[in-house]
Amino acid sequence: MISKNLYFKLIKQDFKKRIWCPILIFVACFLGLEVRMLMGMEQFTQYSDLRPYDITVYIRQYFFGREAMAMSAVACMAAFLCGISGYTYLHSKIQVDLYHSLPVSRTQLFWSRYLSGFLQFMIPFVMNIIICIGIAVGRKAITIQTIPAIFSFIGIQMIIFVLSYSVAVIATGLTGNLIISILGTGVLFVYSTVLEVILFLMSTRFFDTYTVYNSRGNIALNDKIWCFSPLSMIIKLFASPNNTTQVAAQKFFKYDSSYIWVLIVAAILYSLAAYIIFVKRASESAGKSIAFRVAEPIIKTMIVIPAAFYMGFFFCSIYYIDTDEWFLFGVIFGFTIVCILMEIIYRINLHGALMHKKQFLFNLACTMLILIVFWYDVAGYDTYVPSDSQLQSCAVSISDLMPLQQDIRVNEFGVHHLSPAEYRMANMELQGNSSVMELARKAAKEQLAYRNFDYYDGIEESPEYIETMKRQENYRNIEFGYKFPSGKVIYRSYIIDISDETTLYLLSGIFNDSNYKVGSTPIFNDYWNVSFEAIRCQSNFKIGDITLTPERQAKLMEIYYNEYMKLTLDTVMHTLPVGTLDFMVRNINDKYHYSSYSGNMYVYPQFTETIALIKEYGFDMLENPTSEDVELIRLTKEKTTSSYNNLPMADSELDDEPKEYTDKEQIQQILDNIINERFYWYPNYGDLFDHCYFIEIRYAKNDRNNSDSNYLFITGQIPAFIQ
Amino acid sequence: MITAVNVTKHFEEITAVNDVNVTIKNREVFGLIGTNGAGKSTFLRMAAGVLKPDSGKIFVDDQIVYENASTKADIFYISDDQYFLPNATPRDMAVFYKDYFKSFDRARFDEMLGKFQLKANRKINTFSKGMKKQLSVLLGICANTKYLFCDETFDGLDPVMRQAVKSIFAGELSERDFTPVIASHNLRELEDICDCVGILHQGGVLMQKDLEEMKLNIHNVQCVFQSLEEEKTALGLLDIVKAEKRGSLNIITVRGSEKEILNKINTFSPVFAEILPLTLEEIFISETEVVGYDIKELIF
Repeated sequence: MISKNLYFKLIKQDFKKRIWCPILIFVACFLGLEVRMLMGMEQFTQYSDLRPYDITVYIRQYFFGREAMAMSAVACMAAFLCGISGYTYLHSKIQVDLYHSLPVSRTQLFWSRYLSGFLQFMIPFVMNIIICIGIAVGRKAITIQTIPAIFSFIGIQMIIFVLSYSVAVIATGLTGNLIISILGTGVLFVYSTVLEVILFLMSTRFFDTYTVYNSRGNIALNDKIWCFSPLSMIIKLFASPNNTTQVAAQKFFKYDSSYIWVLIVAAILYSLAAYIIFVKRASESAGKSIAFRVAEPIIKTMIVIPAAFYMGFFFCSIYYIDTDEWFLFGVIFGFTIVCILMEIIYRINLHGALMHKKQFLFNLACTMLILIVFWYDVAGYDTYVPSDSQLQSCAVSISDLMPLQQDIRVNEFGVHHLSPAEYRMANMELQGNSSVMELARKAAKEQLAYRNFDYYDGIEESPEYIETMKRQENYRNIEFGYKFPSGKVIYRSYIIDISDETTLYLLSGIFNDSNYKVGSTPIFNDYWNVSFEAIRCQSNFKIGDITLTPERQAKLMEIYYNEYMKLTLDTVMHTLPVGTLDFMVRNINDKYHYSSYSGNMYVYPQFTETIALIKEYGFDMLENPTSEDVELIRLTKEKTTSSYNNLPMADSELDDEPKEYTDKEQIQQILDNIINERFYWYPNYGDLFDHCYFIEIRYAKNDRNNSDSNYLFITGQIPAFIQ
Repeated sequence: MITAVNVTKHFEEITAVNDVNVTIKNREVFGLIGTNGAGKSTFLRMAAGVLKPDSGKIFVDDQIVYENASTKADIFYISDDQYFLPNATPRDMAVFYKDYFKSFDRARFDEMLGKFQLKANRKINTFSKGMKKQLSVLLGICANTKYLFCDETFDGLDPVMRQAVKSIFAGELSERDFTPVIASHNLRELEDICDCVGILHQGGVLMQKDLEEMKLNIHNVQCVFQSLEEEKTALGLLDIVKAEKRGSLNIITVRGSEKEILNKINTFSPVFAEILPLTLEEIFISETEVVGYDIKELIF
């Protein structure tokens, strides 16, 4: 007869039998919690005066907040330990004979062990949390607001544990051998992540227009693959918040609460799946590789196909021989080897290596089909452009055509930045601009691509090479984000030729759209929400910070915004800026320093009102030094030139013997014809510079406002005495 | 009562038990005999609820045993290689089983451990194979279940221990509703224990017989007749299973009761006639030969 407290007895028995398990977990939690907390506190105390927040915030927001991911690794390892050790008896005939002959139903046996495993993690984990709380209380690092953070920390870890634990139990139930169950746990834990990475690699390799922007900087996050494996879910939960504005980013890290529910549901479903597998599993499966014969071909297909493609990429990475032939060899070789290995594992016998030829052929056909779909773009990925009527809006990012020079920080500790293009894809909503889709269709139709030459000595003299390089100087990347009413966004990246009049016309049509300018420029979306401490002004020769008041900020933003909206593509492409403005905020991690918020915003000569206002605030962008201010100018000639889009590459060589000019007349001539190299790195202006000489200026007096940049001559304006 | 009806069990391509029909009555010691691979263990594992039959049903007291915890509470299964918890002592195992079998008798277990000279606090992994078998039997007895399934349990016991276990079984049978089912590949080991025996071969049951009934109905007779003519006539009246002649001595295995056989022989005033008891082995040789099997090839 079954006593009322049978579950308790079974759990107690299991605990006694696997007492090493909670002990190991306690030690791991101790290192992951108490030791880490003490180290973190010590580090915080050492640099506390640099931080604008106190230790209570550190404990609440860091320790029990964003750093929860470190503990999640411990939770996952503990889950594997508890899951596999709790159900590994299924792999032993003599243990199965004992446990399954006892007067306990499979249901009772499963849930008692399941609960036991759960408690084996929870008890040491919570004990360690309590000790942590004790430490934090002792250090006065805890407040009433920390309590919800602690509960949410515990909850998240428990959910992650259950999710990973269930996967380990499923793998143990599906297999009949410890080694294979460990492998199975690994496969189930990472499977969708692996698919995401493969999809990324395959798409990058075979689709010219492939681009991805919603991955939060992580190639293992791909909307096209369902995140069903725990690792994908955990990555998604802890991925930097997908903030699309900087204001939203100025908050402490928080879990994506909507996604926690996905984890909870997944944990429940995985637990039920583990239970069903357990009760359906035949006792005689102990010792076999796979407990369910029907699952063998499915598992084989699931493993063999991704493994084949991984091998393809592996072969391409050896010695960096990235050719299609080696990729294909890798796929076929990998496929064959993994098929044979799987059969050997299934049979635990070398003689079974070549069994199941039909399965082999089926999997080979599937692999080849997938390869053909990617290789020959059977689905028309590269040529796909949605019709106007299908779209709600569109985002466009024209690289090198908007003066946004830095990545945009989208969380408080700089862990993740949005690139300018990512920012535009997230924020831009162009509607009713016919140029957008016309340009997209044109680009998709033309399918322009950079041509790669196999290098050989003298290639630079080859007419074909010269012609190609010259033509490609006008190539620009353009990215489109097609946004559908359903919320789905499809991204494509094309190459356009800006020497093409039609292209340039359509490009102007996009650029002149005020929505494009606002969507491209974070500060125009945020400035009313942010109090800037200062602006850093840089002109051709000077650099200086101006303190801002709210009134000054409002006025400057209004004037700058209005002038910016009038900016045309022609101006941007053919006019050198006179300076830049960078709106600064107090550094959240270091209260003594500013940090850039907007990146360098370009000021063109046409921005007369902005220039005047900045001058009124104390910085004259148009003021240039005279020869009297300069002691000498040093010119270094470039010996060899290597360039891309007219930009010198890192392997350019400079002459060993620079020339120095001290003659005031010569200095003045040089000063009148040079431009700060900071502008030079903006590729659109590449052909406005002559990079034969690098120019350094030594001023007569030390003035902290003098820019310490190097300079280049404006194209065609090198003084005769230098030439 | 345990009833197996058309029970079949396959392990992939191998048929371990094939359409077996067996009835094991309560309060009898049932011996399940067969060569290695005959399906004894598989049958016991199914009867204990460890394995689910592919087809057919096994009833224990009219209840399906698989996934039936209340029925399994009446069964204690000792496998051929019994599992003991890691680092466990006999006392730990008693505690373990006590959680599952509420009638487990701890006091009796301790007492019997003493009798069998097994130390309660010694680690089981230091026990010999025979000691482990003894411990398994003691645990099974003390669980006080109605049914005790022993898979090859007696094979490792020395004669003294086997006799001791036999005594315990006898005691249990007299005191309570107790039905041991003992599987073995050795007929001789079961001869003095079992009341009823079933022979399994290649997954199927060749036969199932009550030992006493068999012993009463088949006999070995040694006799010498006065003349060949009388001998021929007398033997013609008997239901002879097997006959052998050494000189004038006839050694015959005859079906029938002792009295009936002697009456028929004595009609011819034989020079010498004697009824000898048959060993279980001889009975089975005779019986299986009748149904067309050479039992020597099957079991011995």
